[in-house]
Amino acid sequence: MKESSRKQGAASPCAACKLLRRRCAQDCVFSPYFPADEPQKFANVHRVFGASNVNKMLQELPIHQRGDAVSSMVYEANARVRDPVYGCVGAISSLQQQIDVLQAQLALAQAEVVHLRVRQSTNFPGHGLCPDSPSSSGSPSSKQVSPQDNKGMFSHMDIVDEASLGESMWSC
Amino acid sequence: MSSSGNPSSSSGGGGGPCGACKFLRRKCVAGCIFAPYFDSEQGAAHFAAVHKVFGASNVSKLLHHVPEHKRPDAVVSICFEAQARLRDPIYGCVSHIVSLQQQVVSLQTELSYLQAHLATLELPQPQPPQVPVSSSGSLQALSITDLPTISPSVYDLSSIFEPVMSSTWAMQQQPRPSDHLFGVPSSSNMGGGGELQALAREFIHGGQMPAQPSPGTSGSASSVIKRE
Repeated sequence: MKESSRKQGAASPCAACKLLRRRCAQDCVFSPYFPADEPQKFANVHRVFGASNVNKMLQELPIHQRGDAVSSMVYEANARVRDPVYGCVGAISSLQQQIDVLQAQLALAQAEVVHLRVRQSTNFPGHGLCPDSPSSSGSPSSKQVSPQDNKGMFSHMDIVDEASLGESMWSC
Repeated sequence: MSSSGNPSSSSGGGGGPCGACKFLRRKCVAGCIFAPYFDSEQGAAHFAAVHKVFGASNVSKLLHHVPEHKRPDAVVSICFEAQARLRDPIYGCVSHIVSLQQQVVSLQTELSYLQAHLATLELPQPQPPQVPVSSSGSLQALSITDLPTISPSVYDLSSIFEPVMSSTWAMQQQPRPSDHLFGVPSSSNMGGGGELQALAREFIHGGQMPAQPSPGTSGSASSVIKRE
């Protein structure tokens, strides 16, 4: 209750001015983004970037972009505090490795799809597993409607762009 | 206990200051913590970015807390983040992270679709060659709090950075071969600052994913970036 009122009415200092032990002016650059109830948020930013650097960086930005800049700086500062060696780069490296693994799995799945389609197409004339001739009576797959062989084969593949896929299969 | 390594002075008459001390215009002492990582040639330019974003005293304190054998990696990541922050003063590194995160989600969606398709293709065969493995791709809405938490572990930075003395810090953009059958290019776009910024802005504001892939869509589920 000794110093209850600051420069502005009953407003208490923001987290930045509280940490820096200074008077929180009305035009304080930090006060809109570092409220008093989030002291750790500014503490990490101050530790990694430094208050004067953050002040300068925010002053150079338009006001409507400062909120996003603070959010990204808070994220980067937290990452650097958690991992002093790699910081944000650790997350970037981890995500890139994840992308590499997913792309390898995707390539394998795509190769498997091509392999299965080729095997299914070669099975049609040799075996009677999927008969598609209209003249055969009492065939197990009576759902066949189209009389052509190409149509019959493609109807088994649940794909939308079957024309381009068929072209790719024949070209292989 | 700190072994005083000689600063690698590329200019004639070895004994000049390191890049950091040259930039700061101060005497480079024998135990200078910056000397092993910022040579006098290109180190001054790299240090200029680090100094502007982080401050020399902050970086010095940070490096003193890092074990000596880890300091080269720390310097590389600090230089990268400083460059990213100067290139994009609003989003810095976060734009790269958000873009990579979107690529992961897109690839997971495409993989899930393809594996489901494989399962249907194998049904008519009497002896399926292998059992398809279903992958759990997370499509939940992400916000900045969902960005990956970083646990201290061994990272391989060689795929990201060139050597520390390289003049360019830009990330290596390796083109990924897309699905030639479907003919849909994968959404790997690390260039274009405007697009990266749009991604990061939407992410920071906790928006939904740009595009939700509909079931039964053929080809890759490329995410469409909304223009605000």
